[in-house]
This record gives sequence, C-alpha cells and structure tokens, in this order.
Amino acid sequence: MKRKLLSAVLSVAMVATLLVGCGSSAEAPAADTAGDTAAPAAEAGSEEAAAPAAEGENTLTVWCWDPAFNINAMKEAEKVYQKDHPDFALNVVETPWQDIQTKLTTAATSGQLDTLPDIFLMQDNAFQKNVISYPDAFSDLTSTGIDFSQFAPAKAAYSVVDGKNYGVPFDNGTVIACYRTDILEQAGFTVDDFTDITWSDYIEKGKVVLEKTGKPLLSCQAGESDVICMMLQSTGGSFFDAEGNPAMTGNDKLKAVMNVYAELVKTGVLVEVNDWDQYVGSLNNETVAGTINGCWIMASIQGAADQSGKWAVTNMPKLEGVDGATNYSNNGGSSWAVTSNCKNLELAADFLGSTFGGSTELYDNIISTGALATYLPAGDSEAYAEPNEFFSGDAVSKKITEFAGKTPSNNTGVYYYEARDAVAVAITNVVAGSDVDSELKVAQDTVSFAMGQ
Amino acid sequence: MTRKLRNFGMYFFLTVVSFISVFPLYWMAAAATNKSVDVIRGKLLPGTYLVENMKNLLSIAKVGPAMTNSFKYAIVCTLVSLVVCSLAGYGFEIYHDKVKDGVMSIILLAMMVPFAATMIPLFQMFSSAHLLNSTLGFILPSISTPFLIMMFRQSARSFPHDIIEAARIDGLSEIGIFFKMFFPTMRSTYAAAMTITFMNAWNNYLWPKVIMMDENSITMPMLIANLTEGYTTDYGSLMLGVFLCTIPTVIIFFLLQKSFAEGITGAVK
Amino acid sequence: MPDGGSVRHIHYKGGSQVKEKKKKFTLSQKHNATGWVFLTPAALLIVIMSFVPMVRALFLSFKTGIGANMKWVGFYNYSRMFQDSVFLQSLFNNFFYLIIQVPIMLVLALVLASMLNNKNLRFKGVFRTMIFLPCATSLVSYAIIFRSLFAVDGFINTVLIKLGFLNTGYNFLGHPWSARIIIIIALVWRWTGYNMVFYLSGLQNIEYSVYEAAKIDGASPFQTFWKITVPLLKPTILLTTIMSTNGTLQLFDESVNLTNGGPANATVTMSHYIYNMSFKYVPNFGYSAAMSYLILILVAVLAFIQMKVGDKRD
Repeated sequence: MKRKLLSAVLSVAMVATLLVGCGSSAEAPAADTAGDTAAPAAEAGSEEAAAPAAEGENTLTVWCWDPAFNINAMKEAEKVYQKDHPDFALNVVETPWQDIQTKLTTAATSGQLDTLPDIFLMQDNAFQKNVISYPDAFSDLTSTGIDFSQFAPAKAAYSVVDGKNYGVPFDNGTVIACYRTDILEQAGFTVDDFTDITWSDYIEKGKVVLEKTGKPLLSCQAGESDVICMMLQSTGGSFFDAEGNPAMTGNDKLKAVMNVYAELVKTGVLVEVNDWDQYVGSLNNETVAGTINGCWIMASIQGAADQSGKWAVTNMPKLEGVDGATNYSNNGGSSWAVTSNCKNLELAADFLGSTFGGSTELYDNIISTGALATYLPAGDSEAYAEPNEFFSGDAVSKKITEFAGKTPSNNTGVYYYEARDAVAVAITNVVAGSDVDSELKVAQDTVSFAMGQ
Repeated sequence: MTRKLRNFGMYFFLTVVSFISVFPLYWMAAAATNKSVDVIRGKLLPGTYLVENMKNLLSIAKVGPAMTNSFKYAIVCTLVSLVVCSLAGYGFEIYHDKVKDGVMSIILLAMMVPFAATMIPLFQMFSSAHLLNSTLGFILPSISTPFLIMMFRQSARSFPHDIIEAARIDGLSEIGIFFKMFFPTMRSTYAAAMTITFMNAWNNYLWPKVIMMDENSITMPMLIANLTEGYTTDYGSLMLGVFLCTIPTVIIFFLLQKSFAEGITGAVK
Repeated sequence: MPDGGSVRHIHYKGGSQVKEKKKKFTLSQKHNATGWVFLTPAALLIVIMSFVPMVRALFLSFKTGIGANMKWVGFYNYSRMFQDSVFLQSLFNNFFYLIIQVPIMLVLALVLASMLNNKNLRFKGVFRTMIFLPCATSLVSYAIIFRSLFAVDGFINTVLIKLGFLNTGYNFLGHPWSARIIIIIALVWRWTGYNMVFYLSGLQNIEYSVYEAAKIDGASPFQTFWKITVPLLKPTILLTTIMSTNGTLQLFDESVNLTNGGPANATVTMSHYIYNMSFKYVPNFGYSAAMSYLILILVAVLAFIQMKVGDKRD
C-alpha cells in the first residue's frame, strides 16, 4: 500500500519535472537580468511585493510584532484616527523584530527600498545604528508638526540623530524594582526599606533576606549585560563619549557598576541563570524575592496569577559616590519610524502625531495591555491613577510615568550592540575572578576593533 | 546463551536511545496541554489546558493559512527537487568522466558559503524579478542542492551497470533506462531523499523570512517566530504551535520509513 | 566547467538532436551528451541561485564600509580577521566541535543503522521513527529542554548530586569546556538519527544474502560490521562525512539558541559571528563576506581531502 503511494507520488513528480524543471531553468536566467521575461511566473504576489507602501491613498502599511501589545496599540490608534478621517485604514503585518531588522538590512543593502512598508516599529537600542547605516531608508520627522517635547526626554533621545527626529516614541522601558512583600516581611523588611536606597543598602539588606529566607533578591541572565546597562544609564553614563568613541577604560561610572555587579554575585544576592525562560521561571517559581527590569516585565510577573497582591513596585537602587547617580533608568522600549518608501509622508506624520503623539484617549485604551506611555500628558489621566490589585493596590502606571520623566538619557552610540556584548564578556570574566580594569581594556579594544572598519 | 544476551543488550540499547530521542518531543506535547506558567515551572505531566491553548493560539495566529502555505511550499519543492537532483546525480555517476567529476566538485562549493553571505545578492535578484511573496520565490533557491545531487550520485554507484547494458541491448533509450530501471530500483533512496527534502523545505526559515512580506504568505516556522517575539511568551500556546509544526515531518517519516529501510532492491536483480 | 551558453545549447536542443543525428555520434559521445542533458537543469539552477550570489559576495569581501556605502580595500578584510580575537575564538570552537562531534555521531549512526537493518528485530519501525525524531523536533522546544536539563538546579545536576558525584549544582552552561561539551551532546542528539536515514537507505543496496553468507561462515556481528557493512557503505559514508563537516563548520542554531555564544564567547561559532556582524551589529558586509569565504576555503579543503580518500570507484 505504502509502496504504491510512494510510487504514485514519485510518478507525478517525474511528470512535473519535465514541465517545471525545464521551465524554471529557462525562467531563472531572466531573474538575473532584468526580470521582464519572468513576469508570467510572478503573478502570485508581485503587486504587493513591488510597492507594499502604495496600496491606496489613505492606507498605510505597518510592521510590528506583538499581537497583545504593539499590534493592538496600532489598531487602537487606527480607530482613534478614523473618527476624524473615515477613509483612513491601516494594513498591519505581524513581523517579529528580528525579521524587521533582517528585512530592513537586506532591502537597504541591496537597494530595494521599495519593499519596505510605510511605518515600522524599531527597538530603541537599534535606532541610531540603523539610521546612520541606512540614512536613505528613513524619513526625517523633525518639521512634520509632531510635538516631540511632550515625550519623556530620555525616551525621545533614542531616535534623534544629528539633531533630527526620526522616530515617534512608543512603549515605555522605564526600570522598576519589583519585590515580593511576603518574602521581605519574613526577613523583617517592607517595600519602603527598598525605596530610594543605594546599592550598598541593597546588598546589605539582600544578605539578610538571603540568610533568613534562602532567596536571592535578584536574578538575571548570565552573559547578558541588561543589569549593567540599567545601572550605567541610571548614572547618566555611557559606553561612549560625546564624539561616539568607545569610553570604557577610565570610565569611573562603568567601573563602579562592574564592581557592584561582581559584589552582587559574590554575596549571592544576585543569582545568574542561563536563559530568559529560567529568568521568568525564577520569578514565577518564587525562587527569588524580586527583580529589577524594564516595566514591561510586569506582564511576565502577572503570569503567576496566584501571586496577586504579593508584589510591590518601587524605584531601583542608585550607585554611591558617582556623579549624576539616580534611582531611575530604562531598559528596552521601541519607537515608530517612517520609511523613505512612504508615499504620503504627510499622512503618516499626521497619523502618528495625532495618536501616539497627541491622544491621551489612545493611551487610556491600551493601558490594560500594559502599554505605558512615554507621552507625558497621558500620565495625568484617570486611567493611570487606577490601583493595580496584583501589585498591592498601587497606582503603578502613574508611578512609572513619573519615573520615566526622571530617567537620565542614554547615549547609545552607533556601536551599542557591540559594546553591550563586549561588556557582557568582560563581566562574565570579572565574575569568574578576572580584574575589572584589564577586562574593560579588552572590551574597549574589541569595540575599537569593530569600529575600525 | 550469548546470543540471547546480545539480543537483550541490543533491545536495551535501542530502547534507551529511543527514550532519549523522544523525550523532548514528549515534553513538547505535554507542555501543549499546560498553562504557560506551569510550563515555566517545569511541569512534566500532561495537563488539561489544551483547549484553552488551542483557542488562544487560533486567536493570535493564522494557523490555517500558515499550514496550507507550508504544505504547498514543501510539497512542490520536494517533488521538483527530487526529479531535478536525481536526474543530475544519475547523470554525474552513470556517464561519469573527468570533466563531470570536476563539475561535481565545483557544484559542491555551492553549499559551503553560509547563506547569510549570499542572501542579500539573492534578494536583489528576486526583488527585481518580482518573485517576492510567491511560491516560486520560495522554492527556486532550494530546488537544486549539492547535497541531494551528491546523494543520488553516491547511490547510483551501487546501481548495477549490467542492468543498463542489458536495457540498452533491449533498445531502451537513456531516459527510458532512468525512468524504467533506475527509478524503481532506487526507491529506498528516493524515500530517504523525500523525507529529508520535505523536512528541510518545511523548516526553511531564513529565506522565507526575508522574501515573505505579506501576512498571507507566512509559513509555520515564521508563525512560531511570531509567537516568541514580544515581552511575554505564552509557552502553552507556543508549544502547541511547535507541536503542530513538527507533526507533518514525523508523519511523513513514519509513512516512508518502511520504503527506505526495508529492501526492495532485490526485485530487479 | 563549460560556460553557461554551451550548456544551455545542449539543454534546449540536445533532446531531439541527439536522437536525430544518432548515427553521427559514437556511442560514448552520445552517452556523454546524455549525461550533460541530465545534469544541466540542476547545474543551471545552482549557477544562478548559488554561484551568481557567491561571486557578488566575493566582490563584497574586497570592500569595506557601513551599510550600503562601500569602498574597495583589497585583501584588508582577509588580513583583518586574523587579528580579530572573537573570530579566532569562533574558528577554534568550530574545529573543536568538528573533531569531536562528527566521528562520534557518524559511528553511532552506523551502529544504529546496522542494528535496525536486522531482519529479525521487532518494533523496527517504532525504533526508527523515534531515533529519527530529534532532527524533526523544533529547535525552540529542544533548546528550552537542554538548557533546563543542564541548569544549576536542573535534572542532570540533581541526579549527579543524588549519586554523590557532586556536592552542589555545577553550572554546565556557565563554564567554557562544559558548555562546549553540551553543544556537542546536543549536536549528536539532534543529527544521529538524520544520518542513520542515509545509512539505512544505503544498506538496502546491499543484498541481505551477503550477511547470511557471512553468518554461515561464522562471522561475529562485529566482524560483519567492519568487513561488510562499512566497506559497502563507503559512498554513503563519504556523503555524510562531507555534509557533516560542512554542517559543523557552518554551525549556527546551537550556538545561538543553547548558549548564545557564551560564556564570554567560549562557544560562539563562525556563522553566529557572521550573522551578528551582518544583522545585529553595525553591518559590515565586506567583513562578513570575507569570513564566509574563509569557511568556504576550509570546507573545500576538507571535502577535497575526503573525496581523495573516499571517492574511488572500484
């Protein structure tokens, strides 16, 4: 029976070949030359492919990636805008961030910018890199009437290159510290004992918590530099100087951060896990008493519905003896970019400006999904003052919007990902016993090497 | 006595290897029936959350179209590719000479450069030829692979030359020999090649992710990548998606394994 | 190889011409032409889909610059990679994986295939399918499992502690050598069944009577394996060796998903680094292309040696 099936299938294949096999070898050379003769083969999707941005006068194509989060936000924005512009429509294509980056790189490098959509969402950390590498792929939004002064300054700065605005800020990556109040209580602490504190306080109290409950205060992914970057930004520090040159050696702020991190690991107050799933697991499994991360981590914490009411939110510790140190920082977040392929820049700018950059109604509509604004007026609305039962009845959203306004901005520089990875290597070695200065020297050399094209 | 012991040893070894091999798949199936937070907490037993995971998956992802696309791309690609490559592999071996052996070596070079390096020039070609978002665009780069050509070339080596001579004497044309003699004799090779090619086409990810820009042309691996993006991952639905994405390859293997593992060769000899 | 034009000529006209002018060709010329007709569709596709982009990548490898702004620099990218400590580390890692993993995997696959080729074995189909499953199992789920199995509080550590080999959990993925070994274990786990498929199908071309004759002559299973199975499977073994060498030197998935190259680049592979250089870091395609060509040269040299050793027609 199975043999018959197989041979039937193969016979079909044989026939198909004589048709397709010869056909495709005849068509393929055309693909290389100009593509005119290949037209019959391409009926399938050529219209969308050639110009996805030009479907209709009032339609914009958008790439973004999370149905529960930014896709939902875009669709809500569409509804808000349609009230005044009934003809307006969006075509939202779900595209993971990795794919947006790959598609942007591929399209821009091969000179096929017409394959890009009108608008896409971009990770803030990658904004400078992409605008500087592919200036032709972006539209300058500076003088399109969007009021960028209404956004948290640290946030808006991510998408500014040479004084020009290339992005409309979207979600908030403001850092929060979350604690399990019940575990702290067992050690004799309340959340107030962890508010507006320094890292040395944190380590001292963390040791007590560890001793009394056996639980570390903090977990993070080994080989990632998120915690380092958050600490560094909270002091207003950067891996680069104002000219964009790597500044890791002789960087007192960075050195202080590295020392604190090594101390955290040594004392056991911070436990390193190997990947993201184990990190989320450590929160949901009660193996740690708290975490420090961008405010979007709340969604993962709330995955464990049985822990409702046991968590509380406050600000992160600050570094001692460092100029400009604060209790506020940022990790993650993204902004909307308009591509150069957008045929109707005016429409795109007006849409973004009057929704993400001008509608508190929009932000009220999406707050239930955890999408917190960096558009400062949104923080004053009633929706933001609503208590959150999971986090001990606190008005968490309002709190985070306040934190956002106090966050120092981050000079990511163009080579931010290189620097992050180099510092991750350095901290791994420091934790294993290496010396901070020499490891920072190696990191500096690695980044300088990458920059020396 | 030693024979029994040896047999026992063999069954024991195979059972252990099978268990190790199958465990992650079992875990995946079990996870698909659990709540996300239970998956993260390391629950190993099946749960009761399958229906909810299914509802959730269907609400956030277009599973139907992605499955249809994946099947379409993988089946077309497998069939065309088997024919093109087996013809070539047969040609390289049966009519081999110095030049053709040299060409074979050159063809092998085509698989030795990481795809990341050739992707951008390839994209440029496909974009100018308006092949983005199309089945043809998906399959063209993977129809002819050095791997399959070499696989058929290597197995053609064990195809008895006296059969060819006899067939020629009987007046069969060269192409006739290929279809009437080689093809039925080499069923086990075709079955193995079919399994592997189907699997590779089904799992192909990097290329479709570059050329598919339209929501209606996404494939299952792309759908799974969509599920893992974002600030929170629903592991229950994710594992259900992953499970659905794995099953077709497993079924194809199970159906074909008899054909490539239990000799049919004897029939011709 | 002949230039594209003449190949196409044969391809388009060959079929009918060969038949019409049969008498003018000698037999061997005719067979030669038929051979070309057979391999032309595949060869043409490879030229267009692989060689054309490869030549463009080769040009790219002599240029440098950010993104799309590139200028000529000659062999700078090639000399540069030998001063790049991350790249040299990745080169070392790839060779370590290659030397340890490929032989273990291929021998294991051969052993399993010859066991499962035994006519008297029961549940063959089930065993075969189960052993094949790893390569069909999605990377997403198997990466999660491997990482959690080897976590500090994971299953492996729990067992080792219970058996008294360890006092506290060992961070397998946090130390360079244990992390590399986990990558090797993962690779063997994933690809053994895959290679077994080729051996099983190759074994079907060996007549079972050969084995029965050997049995009557009193050969042990071990002798049968080395004296009959291995020599007769030589073409397939060559195929799998070349493919595994190529696959290991281009290893990407495990480095990205299991260890993310860590700890401190101890497990990063060349392809992973090339990918970062193109799509994560400030794109430097000239340098990526140059590193890709180094991989090509390495694989080509190894494949050439393997073909010299194993590709003889008896």
